[in-house]
Amino acid sequence: MNHYMPMFNTPMKKILLLILILVLPANAFSHHVLGRPAYSLNEDSNTPPSMQVETQIGNYFVTYMIFPAFPKAGEKGRINIYASRIDTGDTLSSPVTFLVRDGGWFADKSEEILGTQEVYDGVYRQGFVFKENGSYIITAKFEAEGEPYLIDFPLQIGESHSMLPIGITLGSILLILVVVNIIQRKRLMREKIRETRNES
Amino acid sequence: MIMTHPGLPELWGYLVWGFMLVLGLWSLIAPIPKKLQRRTFRLDNFWLSQPLVLLLVRSRWPLWLLKITVMVLFLLVIIAGLYGTPIAERNLATVLTWNIWWAGLIVSVFFLGSAWCAVCPWDTLANWLIRPRLWFGKINNSLDLKVPRYLRSVWPALLMFIGLTWLELGVGVTTSPYATALLSLLMVLLATLSMALFRNKAFCRYICPVGRTIGFYSQLAPVELRPVNADICAACTTLECYNGNDKIDPCPTQLVMGSLNQNTYCTSCGNCVHSCPQQNVSWRLRPPSHEAIADARPHWDEAWFMLGLLALTAFHGLTMMPFWEQWMSIFAQQIGDSGQLLISFSVGLTMSMLLPIVLYALTILALYIITGKKNRYRNLFTGMVFTALPLAFAYHLAHNLNHLVREGAGLATVFMQPLGIGLAPLSMAEKHQRHFDMLVSQDTLFAMQGLLMMFGFWLAVKVLRYRGRSLLPQAGWRMFPVLIFIIMVNSFHLWLLMQPMVMRM
Repeated sequence: MNHYMPMFNTPMKKILLLILILVLPANAFSHHVLGRPAYSLNEDSNTPPSMQVETQIGNYFVTYMIFPAFPKAGEKGRINIYASRIDTGDTLSSPVTFLVRDGGWFADKSEEILGTQEVYDGVYRQGFVFKENGSYIITAKFEAEGEPYLIDFPLQIGESHSMLPIGITLGSILLILVVVNIIQRKRLMREKIRETRNES
Repeated sequence: MIMTHPGLPELWGYLVWGFMLVLGLWSLIAPIPKKLQRRTFRLDNFWLSQPLVLLLVRSRWPLWLLKITVMVLFLLVIIAGLYGTPIAERNLATVLTWNIWWAGLIVSVFFLGSAWCAVCPWDTLANWLIRPRLWFGKINNSLDLKVPRYLRSVWPALLMFIGLTWLELGVGVTTSPYATALLSLLMVLLATLSMALFRNKAFCRYICPVGRTIGFYSQLAPVELRPVNADICAACTTLECYNGNDKIDPCPTQLVMGSLNQNTYCTSCGNCVHSCPQQNVSWRLRPPSHEAIADARPHWDEAWFMLGLLALTAFHGLTMMPFWEQWMSIFAQQIGDSGQLLISFSVGLTMSMLLPIVLYALTILALYIITGKKNRYRNLFTGMVFTALPLAFAYHLAHNLNHLVREGAGLATVFMQPLGIGLAPLSMAEKHQRHFDMLVSQDTLFAMQGLLMMFGFWLAVKVLRYRGRSLLPQAGWRMFPVLIFIIMVNSFHLWLLMQPMVMRM
């Protein structure tokens, strides 16, 4: 089963990230793209479906596409990035560096460079092959008009067996039931003690 | 590529505007009938509805069957959302939740009032976990605490509704099956926690944004659950409808049937129907405006909820306009917002909420001054707000019909493969096909939308006339600021409907 969760694979982490984005002012234009996935498939095209996210950062519209939409471990994939100025529509021309890090909860946060790409025909193309399934964060880094730009986006390789949400829900419900029952028992005990005292 | 649905044709726009002008002028000069006709029609007496109503009154299994069916679908939504394809239009979680349920829910209120609450899976699951009735008796896993005074209002529900709108339209939960499943689980968790802490169903009454939306719109529903004979209720000393009995739970929202005169907090659960020893409770038909005109009592928190409904329904429409993203993009550049533009969206949401509220507050201020301050501002604010309800409801219905009729076509395909695993996204050709594969013809849809806008306006004018008379008996034509408010809001809604609307998925 191919399962890709571009936005919410680690909900708490994403919420924390979102809060950080909203709260912390950054010197560089930098953010983590939570953007909605879109899947472009044209009936005239022989390319497989791709995951596509459009986003706006600083003065640029950035579109990134991942081929195939649901990449697997050991399978070749590609990231395409298109960046153009919002006001003039001019394509970005400075090189873009692609970095990757593990996006798991307790994973090592050190980054590896995937490569640095020059623009070709308006597109930055970065190939990748991942040996292991998992949730990764790809960072695209570039400079424009002297300002540094950083864009993070999630990349899911292979299936994601997420029992976490159901686990959290069932765990929480169980906790609620246990706590309520403990309090109920204590109440009952207190009442019995009170009754005994009153009788004596 | 963005796909859009065509907006309402100009002809319908002119028709509705013409209707508003004529009716608006008439309302200022025509005398108001002294007595409000209260005609109701018992559904258990009518040959066509009698078998169904009697079945519901005499037996509990039809409701159980419905509950279980809805529960199965709900669990399927969670499974499909968590383990199915992330392609929104191929996954049952997103299609059933947002295209069918969310859109159809408001339409259901138009015919059935708060019937959804009776089968709501959030509450059903919470009830099964906290207060299950088993073969050996009833288990109570609740602390049965009193709801704190500061929570006994619909403010929590309004905040939840704003939050839900933010998640739906800002974060884009509607396009993520996974997030849709998470949201469903969160709602179950909240309902369960609330039931574990508080007595009765505090979640339904004070917190649930869906339940309260249905509740307020139900004031305009043509059905109501009421005593058959008011004298029997007046003589009743046991109040089984309120207290329940050995077999039937008490009213979940603490309503006493004998004094019930508004649908707002009724969840249509039918407990009162089954617990009443005199079998004195039944469903009946009524004119859809009575409650908003006269029966519903004005409250400060409820007034804000109704204004919130008005603002948020228009906001839903606004965000589905093709120019919305452009506005957000320009605004984001001005304030340096990036990414999903959540700050810009939040500002847009806040402004869209503030604008109608400020407009309404100024309208009431104008009314207050023009009528010589004969009634308190607060009384006018809470009393005249009932005019906003039909406007919000009519637009909500017309907008949702677009979703339901134009985007509900793919449901059968999604039911064939609820998880959508291995399926490719819809191609442009398939999306185009869906545009033509509508549940009713486009002209019929336009006619329904146009008539709904007229219906909403007519109800709002009726509310204005009757509520106006009770609040300011001698005001007469001086009620015109509220009429202008009604015309402005309905015109804006109409204009929104006349724009092309972005397809949800």
